[in-house]
Amino acid sequence: MRRRVRLTFPQNLIKEPVIFTMAKRYEVLPNIRRARVTDTVGEMILELEGEEQNIEKGIQSLKEQGIEVELIEGDVVE
Amino acid sequence: MGYVRGLKCRECGREYPVEPIYVCEFCFGPLEVVYDYKRIKRVLTRKNIEKRGKNLWRYKELLPIDGEPQVGLQSGFTPLIRADNLARELGVKELYVKDDTVAHPTLSFKDRVVAVALTKAKEFGFDTVACASTGNLAHSVSAHGAKAGFKRFVFIPASLEPSKIVASLVYGPNLVAVDGNYDEVNRLCSEIANKYKWAFVNINIRPFYAEGSKTQGFEIIEQLGWKAPDNVVVPCASGSLLTKVWKAFKEFKEIGILKELETRVFAAQATGCSPITSAIKQDTDVIRPVKPNTVAKSLAIGNPADGYYAGQVVKNTGGYGEDVSDEEIIEGIKLLARTEGIFAETAGGVTIAAAKKLIEQGRIGRDETTVVCITGNGLKTQEALAGHTAEVHYIKPNFSAFEEVLKKIGYQ
Repeated sequence: MRRRVRLTFPQNLIKEPVIFTMAKRYEVLPNIRRARVTDTVGEMILELEGEEQNIEKGIQSLKEQGIEVELIEGDVVE
Repeated sequence: MGYVRGLKCRECGREYPVEPIYVCEFCFGPLEVVYDYKRIKRVLTRKNIEKRGKNLWRYKELLPIDGEPQVGLQSGFTPLIRADNLARELGVKELYVKDDTVAHPTLSFKDRVVAVALTKAKEFGFDTVACASTGNLAHSVSAHGAKAGFKRFVFIPASLEPSKIVASLVYGPNLVAVDGNYDEVNRLCSEIANKYKWAFVNINIRPFYAEGSKTQGFEIIEQLGWKAPDNVVVPCASGSLLTKVWKAFKEFKEIGILKELETRVFAAQATGCSPITSAIKQDTDVIRPVKPNTVAKSLAIGNPADGYYAGQVVKNTGGYGEDVSDEEIIEGIKLLARTEGIFAETAGGVTIAAAKKLIEQGRIGRDETTVVCITGNGLKTQEALAGHTAEVHYIKPNFSAFEEVLKKIGYQ
């Protein structure tokens, strides 16, 4: 399955290879579709492909490190 | 034959044919309906509009349908009320309330968007419609969908208040209460929308659905005597309504119905969920998602899909954003009811309280014309007022007991 997410990095993680680490550890294929990374801002739109549970675990690990993970559509419950 | 040219990405401008899609494949920007204004200009005039039925379809050329309207034939055209009592209270000269508390059939502005979404769903050939909602949208999809003969799936968080659930259930949809936190409900619904070929009104039909909000803007202009107000105050959840009210004003200018347009657009949110007004106040383009915590549940969207665009409209028109506390919201509901006899839901309290603040700050001029958008009926959120209203006078069935009450309240 595939999932699109928007990531916002805290400043201390901007220089860390968090996406690579997550991808390798949980066997998900990351496809960076958009990104804006400066000294102070890190935002990325990422497509993740893989087994559903692996994607879940991968997203969870990003969250645990302090990265904000949001669905690309914004909230859908109106 | 309709007047839609196609869909266009709001970010990169890439164009798409009219299909049930909502996001740009290349940059993930949201898709927007584009029209052939040159052709519309020839057929849609003030005179033609005035001859038509008093419902939202009187502006059908500017709505994203190909054939004739099929759903919500009596929706829209709610009153625009000159609110002199409220104006006096707030110290302004000319104030109007756009009153969607009496929208047909489910008493909120969602009846507009769903009328358009379900007409489009018919045109696309869907037999099932769905939505993810905590209240107003669920009511409207359930009701409009019943009349139009759709199979209906409505997804709600299981923690929702019983009164809101009944107001959907009565129309007989498949109501799915999801046992999970808000984020989990969100994610599940996005997945379901990807898998099943349903018209998910606020997901894959969203570009068409959202266009229905423009009718509130068209009506404001027409009901003001074909003039734009100096200011309009709009409550924000996803931010979509605000952007569409402005789009409506601009379209009327574009096709020549409106001669002048210098309206400032103001955003109103609850302090407990204010990602849009916070960005406006901090003068930044970045909308920071929040975890909502407010009595105004119908505005509690922490990660607003159209937040950025709403912020841009506010900025470009010289408006501002203001947020209000739960106490101020309750006071706002009571103020509108006490002065104008209109009982709004909590979102209406947000709009009134924010308008009050903006007037006090001098951002809305006291000599200007201002419209406040009231989007839903207070009967839906009565529990918010528990313990905040006037007290009942309980008496024994005799005359002296009644006279005691008169004495107590100082009646003369």
